[in-house]
Amino acid sequence: MKGSKGSGARWVKGAVFAALSMVSSHSWAGIYDDGKVFLTGGVFTVDGGGGGGAVPWATITGYETRDGINGGAGFTYVSLPNYTLNFLGASVGFFDRFELSYMNTKLSTNLGNVDTVALAASLLNLDKNLGLDPNGSNLHMETYGAKIRLFGDAVYTSDSFLPQTAIGAYYKVNSTKEFVTTLSADKAKDYEIYAAFTKVFFRYSTLVNLTVRYTSANQIGLTGFGSCEANHTNCNNDKEFRMEFSTAYLLQKNFAIGGEWQQHGNQQKHRPVDTGDLLSTTSANGATDLVHGVVGNVVGGVIGATALSQSLTQNESDWYDVFFAYAPNKNYSLVFAYLFLGDIAVAHEQNGLYFALHATF
Amino acid sequence: MKSFTRNLMVGAALSMAALASAPSFAGESKTSPILGITSSSLEEFGGPDGVRAWVESLFYYIMLDNRIAPIFREFGNVERQTFLNTQLEIMVLGGPNEYQGASMSAAHADLGITMPQFNAVVEAAYNACERNVIPYHTCNQLINALAPFTRDIVTR
Ligand code: HEM
Repeated sequence: MKGSKGSGARWVKGAVFAALSMVSSHSWAGIYDDGKVFLTGGVFTVDGGGGGGAVPWATITGYETRDGINGGAGFTYVSLPNYTLNFLGASVGFFDRFELSYMNTKLSTNLGNVDTVALAASLLNLDKNLGLDPNGSNLHMETYGAKIRLFGDAVYTSDSFLPQTAIGAYYKVNSTKEFVTTLSADKAKDYEIYAAFTKVFFRYSTLVNLTVRYTSANQIGLTGFGSCEANHTNCNNDKEFRMEFSTAYLLQKNFAIGGEWQQHGNQQKHRPVDTGDLLSTTSANGATDLVHGVVGNVVGGVIGATALSQSLTQNESDWYDVFFAYAPNKNYSLVFAYLFLGDIAVAHEQNGLYFALHATF
Repeated sequence: MKSFTRNLMVGAALSMAALASAPSFAGESKTSPILGITSSSLEEFGGPDGVRAWVESLFYYIMLDNRIAPIFREFGNVERQTFLNTQLEIMVLGGPNEYQGASMSAAHADLGITMPQFNAVVEAAYNACERNVIPYHTCNQLINALAPFTRDIVTR
């Protein structure tokens, strides 16, 4: 019955038709493509690449298929009790195979204890630059990312357990080196690499993703990489493998709810904020510096009364979040999430709201 | 137009054959999704009649989509394809295998179908589910069962 097919002319016609239908709808560039199914490129992660909120997936960002290019820009706002974070970035997916991303992150602190240290340091005219501002200190980081899909298909191969598998890397440059050093981190810039495995189980309308990241980041790099003891000694920046898991349940073709877990290290645990001699009562020089002069007395009094140096002990927790993602159409998606970020640096129980807007072209 | 009449006649002949007796051949077999599909899927689609209605809606949305309608207008035959797709979808949803058309690879081999075009048909499929008030999660059972055909259908 199919014998009448297969003539070369017919094939050519089919191809021309296919090409025409692509070019006619987007005559400015045949390479532009938004043919991917809703939300299957993932949304906008805090690292810039395609994935959930914090966890990069094996899916390639944007709505392109293997025939084209697509990408977008995004903004994420996070409000925690003691921190506010702003993320602004962009990402491009090429042929559903390769992805490039950039993210600019700013974290503003609202920490009485750190502000006090900053105030003391400025009053004392401390030589050492702690990178702190008495009016609230900021951390700033830029993240450059690339990801390549190796094999497997998250969406279409519903008859195989083989997940879509990708590897990726981030290079993170924290430009607030002094602050990061004050928080006892070893380095302000470093790379991370990861492997991600993603599968959509249509029977349960559920996406499951597992990611393994090789990194030494503290708080995804916002508070630097690795850690040191006081005065930047005995530094250690050993990378380790950390697990990340994320799942999304599709309530509608363009609406998903889900949750994530991201394992974190705890290299800055119990490391005091490294203020050099400022808070040290054991160091002979520092102590005498502090108790001399009116300013020193006042500051010393405040520090003693508020047990400031104890309150500046750091801790880090794994991150958890629950989210819902909504893509009204292929040009933008919205994510609302509640984050359970635990202890961040010297502040405890940082739970709060997350909002992300991702515009795709 | 010649191929249109040809298809129409073959379609009519097939319809009669289907009414008359058990299938003499089946060009395609059921897919095997890893986690299976919900056993009540066919029922949730409204049984064979529900599937037929869904396929009608599917082609309605396909023919409204400029990205793919030209292909169907040029090379397809909506009547014949509606008939054959109904059989195929009943089969993949767990019903009897009465499919009488060509294999997915034979039927689509010469069409040079791309991923965006395939996805456009998937969008039409979801729209058809919404139009026929078939719940999204039931619709996903069908997507689950048809997805593996991508390999045979998308040749570019
Ligand atoms: C899972 C998705 C699909 C299924 C289950 C499917 C199913 C079928 C069936 C059952 C036939 C009839 C075969 C026969 O004539 O014996 C057919 C033919 C056809 N299909 Fe599909 N199809 C799918 C995707 C597509 C796509 C994405 C396109 C184009 C964008 C397409 C275009 C056609 C055309 C033009 C024909 C007619 C071919 C001819 O009669 O020569 N199909 N398809």
